[in-house]
Amino acid sequence: MSTTVDALAAVGTATPDRRRRLVGRAGRRLLGAVGVLWAAATVTFLLQALMPGDRARLIINQTAGTMTSPTAEQRAAVNATYHLDDSLFSQYLHYIGGLAHGDLGTSYFQHQEVTKIIGDQIGATIVLTLVSLVLAWAIALTVTVLAAGRDNVFSRLASGFQIVSAAVPQYWVGTILLVVFSIQLGIFPVESGSGISGLVLPAITLALPVAGFLGQVSQDEFTRLLDQPFVTSSRTRGASDLGVRIRHVLRHAALPGVTLSGWALGFLFSGAVIVETVFARPGIGGVLVGAATSRDIPLVTGIVIVSAAVYVVANLLVDVAYTIIDPRLKDA
Amino acid sequence: MSTANPSFDEAPGRSRGHRLSVARAYLRSVPIGVQLATVVLIVFLIAAIAPGLLQTHDAYRTDLLSGLKAPSGSHLFGTDQSGRDVFSRVVAGTRQSLQIGLGATGVALVIGLLLGVAAGLGGRWTDGTVSRFIDVLFSFPTLFLALLLVSIFGAGITTTIVAVGVGTSPGYARMVRGQFITVRRAGYVEAARAVGHTRSRIVRQHIFPNAIRPLVAIFTLGVGQSIAFASGLAYLGLGVAPPSPEWGALLDAGRQYVTEAWWLELMPGAAIVLFALSVTVVGRHVQERLEGNVKVEDA
Amino acid sequence: MLRTFLARTSSPRTDHPLVGDGDAGVSDGAGAPARRLRRLAGAAVPLALVVAFAGCGSSDSGGGTSNAAQATPSKPTQGGTIEYGHLQEPPCLINTWVQTGYLSRQFLDGLVSVDAKGKFYPWLADSWKISPDGKTYTFKLKQGVKFTDGTPFDADAVKTNFKAWLDRDAWTYNSYVDFHVGKVIDSVEATDPATVTIKLKEPHDLLSVLSQYAFGILSPKTLKGTQANGCERPVGTGGFTVEKWNHGKDVVLKRNPNYASAPGNAKHQGPAYVDGIDWKFLKDDTQRYGSLTSGESDAIYEVPGANWSAAKKQYEILQHITGGVPVRLALETKNGPFTDVRVRQAFGYASDRRKAVETIFRGAAPYNGNGALSAGSPEHLESLEHAYDYDPNKAAALLDQAGWTQKNQDGIRVKDGKPLQIKIVYSPGNNVTNDDVQVLQIIQDQAKQVGFDVVLKPVTQAGLFSGQDHAAGQWDAEPWYWVARTAEILHVIWAPQKVLGVPNGNNVGQFDDPETWKLISTADKTTDVAARTKLYQQAQERIVAKDALVLGLRPLTVTLAVNTKKLRDVWLSPAIGEPVFSDAYLVKK
Repeated sequence: MSTTVDALAAVGTATPDRRRRLVGRAGRRLLGAVGVLWAAATVTFLLQALMPGDRARLIINQTAGTMTSPTAEQRAAVNATYHLDDSLFSQYLHYIGGLAHGDLGTSYFQHQEVTKIIGDQIGATIVLTLVSLVLAWAIALTVTVLAAGRDNVFSRLASGFQIVSAAVPQYWVGTILLVVFSIQLGIFPVESGSGISGLVLPAITLALPVAGFLGQVSQDEFTRLLDQPFVTSSRTRGASDLGVRIRHVLRHAALPGVTLSGWALGFLFSGAVIVETVFARPGIGGVLVGAATSRDIPLVTGIVIVSAAVYVVANLLVDVAYTIIDPRLKDA
Repeated sequence: MSTANPSFDEAPGRSRGHRLSVARAYLRSVPIGVQLATVVLIVFLIAAIAPGLLQTHDAYRTDLLSGLKAPSGSHLFGTDQSGRDVFSRVVAGTRQSLQIGLGATGVALVIGLLLGVAAGLGGRWTDGTVSRFIDVLFSFPTLFLALLLVSIFGAGITTTIVAVGVGTSPGYARMVRGQFITVRRAGYVEAARAVGHTRSRIVRQHIFPNAIRPLVAIFTLGVGQSIAFASGLAYLGLGVAPPSPEWGALLDAGRQYVTEAWWLELMPGAAIVLFALSVTVVGRHVQERLEGNVKVEDA
Repeated sequence: MLRTFLARTSSPRTDHPLVGDGDAGVSDGAGAPARRLRRLAGAAVPLALVVAFAGCGSSDSGGGTSNAAQATPSKPTQGGTIEYGHLQEPPCLINTWVQTGYLSRQFLDGLVSVDAKGKFYPWLADSWKISPDGKTYTFKLKQGVKFTDGTPFDADAVKTNFKAWLDRDAWTYNSYVDFHVGKVIDSVEATDPATVTIKLKEPHDLLSVLSQYAFGILSPKTLKGTQANGCERPVGTGGFTVEKWNHGKDVVLKRNPNYASAPGNAKHQGPAYVDGIDWKFLKDDTQRYGSLTSGESDAIYEVPGANWSAAKKQYEILQHITGGVPVRLALETKNGPFTDVRVRQAFGYASDRRKAVETIFRGAAPYNGNGALSAGSPEHLESLEHAYDYDPNKAAALLDQAGWTQKNQDGIRVKDGKPLQIKIVYSPGNNVTNDDVQVLQIIQDQAKQVGFDVVLKPVTQAGLFSGQDHAAGQWDAEPWYWVARTAEILHVIWAPQKVLGVPNGNNVGQFDDPETWKLISTADKTTDVAARTKLYQQAQERIVAKDALVLGLRPLTVTLAVNTKKLRDVWLSPAIGEPVFSDAYLVKK
């Protein structure tokens, strides 16, 4: 497996020849990342631009909030403003050219720079997403270590919890938590706001299904590994059961889960759309839904590119984690 | 490891009575929980194939004089705002919900397997290219993909299946790839290589079974999750068009009554959870048995 | 006229049948229904909201007044910030959508104001004169008023606003203004700094139009600036100024300390009592109502259905029945089965829309059977409320007459091998709410019994405004509403292409009837109120009874729940129902 991380980790200690190879590998990986961003931007642009419907009329109607019958002049004005009359290819070039300069364009309906809109909102979403991911892992690992390979009430409850948490819609969980802990008990604020206490319920809501999923995957692997020779040998050397579980088994059992963390991040990003709505948190999710349903092409494309960038970074981190957990990969 | 394997190794060709007793022995070897889950699944299947057998009312018939009635003898699961029978709606929604749950997970698995296997078994260039493609898929937030598809093709069950399936596929793809790479490097594969097994035999006998195994559990979880996900689309107004009683749509429609007409929310929710639970329990049982067989072969 | 864009999460305000009617429970029987609710809740869902039936506000569906029985008069206090939970966040703080209007009313003033009886009061205009021919309006403006950016408010500013509103190529274009008076205004002149003269091509009820939110006067600096700035930090003369818009969260409004232009029908003159408003966007119903019960909001917009009966007892409810065109189905008359008026009428008779609205909305929004005009407009023709009352036999007879005599195995009527299919295209959260969709499902089910195959086709906002599923043959009915104060809305909807020069997009069904248009256009220029009303009513008669172009469902309502233990003296403007906070004050403990 060739990853940037492997490469970077090895660069320090490698011979000049090996170092050159590793740098080359890291370069390729970086190129790959740029490629991913480019492809994401292109696909989004095309999908949106090729959707049926007159975009000038859409923009005029939505701004007015009614079904007007725009005159030719009105449409010409809108077309000129947004270059909608240019050929698709020239629009695309214009767009990609702007991207290269960090210019994501101007929102059709908010009339602000897309970079500004995203910049204002992305922080809240990233905080929520990361806190949720950490929380999800904490829940998943605790349950795994304590329940896997055992057959008792706790392990049954744990697996029941995993299934239920994966199958229950997030907005539903969010609503229940909101009603119980904020509205009934008054422990947490109803409006999430920007404080830490307001982050608790949204993060739990977002983390639960992911925790169930990660836990399920890790636990299956964990149970399988418990039968492996190296576990038995550790045990015979007198290690405690919990010690073996944490030191030896957990590390390998987490591997499929770590791979899934990249996926989990996408899931969390998507889930943020709903959680941000239920708890009225500012964030990129709410903006995305609004932008996508109103077909605000510059804004939608901007958000996709930013989330692609977040994903690329997250993936590098997953690689790091993978390498740390499974040393076999280092020399690959 | 697994629960006991049924003993099929007894001499064949015995009497019918003996075969029956073998069947009984097999049944005895299946945990009661799995048996229960199987029965539940069969009931759901009946609801999906022949809803008329279970329904007590017309699932679409409104009755403005009996709106929001609590569960009772005449309405097992109560009625909704327009007086429709919730039990009959849950039954009627089974087919679409199962289609969404199984369909979306199936779509995701097929895409995930194709990409994941290609990346996991291919050479460096194949892996690189396919992995980048998975990355591109991944970089679209799942829900955004669904939004796009719905705006292009319009809301509907096929759109929902494809949207949820495609949206969740990169997760499977990456997972499959990771599994294949890990297994490829495992000791027993190295050993098989050392004793000179052919590449195709190694892939078939060793890599594939070991790499695929965790997916069974994932698949069974994915079914419930797909239904939940489709329900999220309904929450955002992008689900199956009314008056469909698809479970996710029912759950969304009942949400605002959670404190007042709990049955609107609880009943479809229970259907989703019960179904997901049963699928997973049966799925795990199957996985454990598969694991047993693989082990036998390895030995 | 313009539709609000309601969040689709907005919901029915439903009294639970088991809890009984809210008003009845206040004095004597409150304990019993409350106990029943508790038992019901306790038995099944321990988390159910157990409401304390403390207060006793009640609703008034009249023209924006409230009767807060519990609001014992107390002296207004100074200071504090009003926490207000609204529903929908607009994309820009200046546009003509009514949801934006509720917000922009806080920082913009109009020229004149109106009360529930239709009497006009000075606002930015101190006084006015109407020429005997009804074509020249001369406004004397308030002196010494300044926009909050320091620019003086004068006749030039008014002229600049009209010019900017009617400039179709500029970002400042205001389609509400254009639709209502664009064709009728001849000139707007600043006679002297304190006098504005508006000349009309023909007589028109200009004062009514000017009292509505879309005619709020913006600072010329805002109008001359960029759209980005105008959207983010618009400036007016109003009681509050826009301090900051935290997108996705709230708009922070601060008191205008120099406010000197409150309308004549305000509860007090001069600056607002409070320091500011935190105008929060709480889209989710459960959360919005929870924010009121937890005390995080002092008032909220749109009480969710499940909480309606509890809210009525605990909080002061302000409600305004918005005039204009109610939420109603416009029928496609150019293609498909609805080209035959008998089929349109049959569709009307085929479902019990009154009972459907009453069942789903539980009195929070009344039925509005007159699809041409809302009951909130003074010219509303009451007799049309019973047009097309539920009568399946009549529906069947009409369909038989129209030749839809055969039925296929599903019970759907067939003619020339074609099933009687009616496609209703709608956009949840944009032109209908969740509850409207429930009503549509009831219509669908009931119409099926008569032999209609009703197909519901939801589209996204973009789909709606780009005309998805709107080509010939793709749709047969579409729900729409337009807010306005009076029957002035009729010309906006029904003006024919030959008058406008372009097809009228607001005339969804594209039905041109010269006779109806003659009635409407004559009414528009009639100055005698009684005669004008009569003409408008004749037009409604033709639109609804004769041609069956529309099927009414319910009017648009503006509903606020106010916690009077904390906040007093909020009122809704009788023009469009815009909430007014500049007279409100916080109760000090």
